[in-house]
Amino acid sequence: MNTTRVVIGSLAALLVMGGCGNQERRTAEGGAVIELTYWPAPNPQEIQLADTLVRRWNAAHPGIQVRMQPIPVSQSTEEVLLAAIAGRTTPDVCSNIQPGAMYEFTRTGGLLPLDGFEGFDSLAEIRAGAELLETFRSPDGHVYQLPWKSNPVMMFYNKRLLREAGYADVPRTYSAYLEAGRHVTRDINGDGEIDVWMGERDIRPIWWQRLFDFYPCYIAASGGKTLFEREAFHMHDSAAAEVFAFFQSCYREGIFPRTFFQGGDPFILGKKATHFSGPWEVATLRKFAPDMEYGVAPLPVPDAMTGPVYTYGDFKNIAVFSTCEHPEAAWAFARYLVQPEHDLLLLELCDQIPVRTDLVTHPLFADYFRRNPVMAEFGKQLQHIRGIDAAPDLKEIFDTLSQVYEKCSVYATIAPADAVRELRARTVMIVEWNK
Amino acid sequence: MFGVCHHCAGGCRAGTACADRDDRGVEQVSTVSTRQTWKSRFGDRSGYGMVLPYAIFFLVFVAYPLAFSLLLVFHRWNIVTPMEWIGLKNFSRLFQDPLFYASLWNTLVFLLLHIPAQVIVALGFALLLNGRLRGRGFFRAIYFLPVVVSGVVVTILWQQLYAYDNGLLNGMLTAIGLGRVPWLVDPHVAMPAIAVMATWKNVGIYIVLFLAGLQTIPTEVYDAASVDGASPFRQFRHITLPMLQPTMIVIVVLSTIGGFSLFIEPYVLTGGGPMQSTLSGMLYIYNQGFYFNHMGYAATLGFVYAVIILLIVLVQRRVLGKEEAA
Repeated sequence: MNTTRVVIGSLAALLVMGGCGNQERRTAEGGAVIELTYWPAPNPQEIQLADTLVRRWNAAHPGIQVRMQPIPVSQSTEEVLLAAIAGRTTPDVCSNIQPGAMYEFTRTGGLLPLDGFEGFDSLAEIRAGAELLETFRSPDGHVYQLPWKSNPVMMFYNKRLLREAGYADVPRTYSAYLEAGRHVTRDINGDGEIDVWMGERDIRPIWWQRLFDFYPCYIAASGGKTLFEREAFHMHDSAAAEVFAFFQSCYREGIFPRTFFQGGDPFILGKKATHFSGPWEVATLRKFAPDMEYGVAPLPVPDAMTGPVYTYGDFKNIAVFSTCEHPEAAWAFARYLVQPEHDLLLLELCDQIPVRTDLVTHPLFADYFRRNPVMAEFGKQLQHIRGIDAAPDLKEIFDTLSQVYEKCSVYATIAPADAVRELRARTVMIVEWNK
Repeated sequence: MFGVCHHCAGGCRAGTACADRDDRGVEQVSTVSTRQTWKSRFGDRSGYGMVLPYAIFFLVFVAYPLAFSLLLVFHRWNIVTPMEWIGLKNFSRLFQDPLFYASLWNTLVFLLLHIPAQVIVALGFALLLNGRLRGRGFFRAIYFLPVVVSGVVVTILWQQLYAYDNGLLNGMLTAIGLGRVPWLVDPHVAMPAIAVMATWKNVGIYIVLFLAGLQTIPTEVYDAASVDGASPFRQFRHITLPMLQPTMIVIVVLSTIGGFSLFIEPYVLTGGGPMQSTLSGMLYIYNQGFYFNHMGYAATLGFVYAVIILLIVLVQRRVLGKEEAA
């Protein structure tokens, strides 16, 4: 028996069987059916939303059929999409594009510019407005993403815990927050252990954890500035130092624990009075703490701060990939996704905030916001949000930020001014290394 | 190429005609085939068929990745864009990188905590299980159980044990009037805590190895020592330990290599914190490769770590080998 031939033959057969055949479908009139693949986020609410929208679309557009397939679950959507770009297995449309990953996506030629499509300008104006849209513009002058939704990070607060500590209003400045924290944080049962904390954050030095403490507070303290300008690191040192100092005070004064909680979310369990999170928390609270009296407010800011309080908005946008064979059809589907009634579905089904300049004024959403006053607060915050920069080495810089934050704020081994200097020096080194 | 000619049994050139006379003097002509050449040169090919699956596996999953990562060392590559040749820039970065030194230091600290603990605990249990003990099979299975349980599952289990506010360990400490320990958030305690967990997870393998080693020691040696009046401790000191030296070398080397692979525990428990005190070499390589997409730099870190492991293992073998010879 010729073993070599058998092995090679078997492998060839496997490869042939592994291939997938494309059968062209036809409409009732005999025309060819365009098929699009759409990847939504893999969480149950968004899958339900995508399923609803795709069913409606397919019923109304027999000539353009969309196949919905949730993004394969991985550590992050960005990893999956990068791997798909590398393997040229990208979908036609995806609605889970993080602006921070755009640098790599566009550098690899993985996306189609959307600003060339008919109706983009007017649609983008409704979605984001000129100022916010500029933050989504790539260095080559094109816009590759259609703003879809954003989850602003705000401060949830437990009204009962604040009231019991003698506070009727939620603290809005650093000093007020620290002051309230000294009264809220206490040992209730006298066992020598703190039972209620003012706040708590995951202190592990993982890059994305800083998107829920340092980064939104930095945006707030700097009046809406991010860490980059035109792809160059451009940190506002005084704002960064104030944020480092604020969190250092929180840990030093013991109103934030230097530990991990086990057995559930401490905010849900009534173990902490404030919690920095996004609108997705609302559904969680509705399910696990239906009786909790809570509200949301803008993040605390430095005492001298005036003007609107900005925050980080966790944007997820829509993009069309360059592997798409029918860009016009894909663009039509992308426009369909952002129709007002579908934005309402996004609110109703997912408790997530669609990016619209008219969100709080559009009559279509009035009833929803009347029924969900907490979500209305997130809707108002939408006017003052910033995303994450599409900069190279972003994750590594945030990883460094995490380490510096840990040293300065959590363990107080360096002063805030030194933390700013170290962060700047290490960031410059990272950028130089990766040039 | 020459082959064995079936006609004249000479070394004729393959593919040429051979003319020779047979016993009756009649000229015979035959062609020397390359097939005969192959067979005569390499013998029966069924052996190659036997090793082919493993050879393919080795080429695809070991040789190719190894060669490719060696190539990556001299490149910048983020998986998606084309590779860019940068010469030795990855090495110059590595030697200036404070996190590389931190991860190396942490890994060495882990090894210093983990290897002695592993050897002492495994040897202790092996000695117990080697004696006359009721339910010996049950205990052997129990001690080996953590080895076969998924690392992530074990780590999550220990996360519950180490929890500050309602963890089992702190519960026990407070029950006896002691204070709680911030196991995973104190920079001085986190790595020892991880070392304890890793020892618990892997000790079963080394118990089995020690048991195998103990069972190779002839009982006559102990009998002779007993006749000479040697106490159990002296028997252990002068018979068991010296005769377990080869097993000890294997265990120390395996522990070292395993220790350098420390990844799941810090990845799940601490993310490399607090203050980078649990950032292991493997976790740093993972972060560079799969978080930041610096495949070239991650490959460089991997190669440098491989060289360091090799040097440490060579030193260990030399030192322990000398002891064994002595």
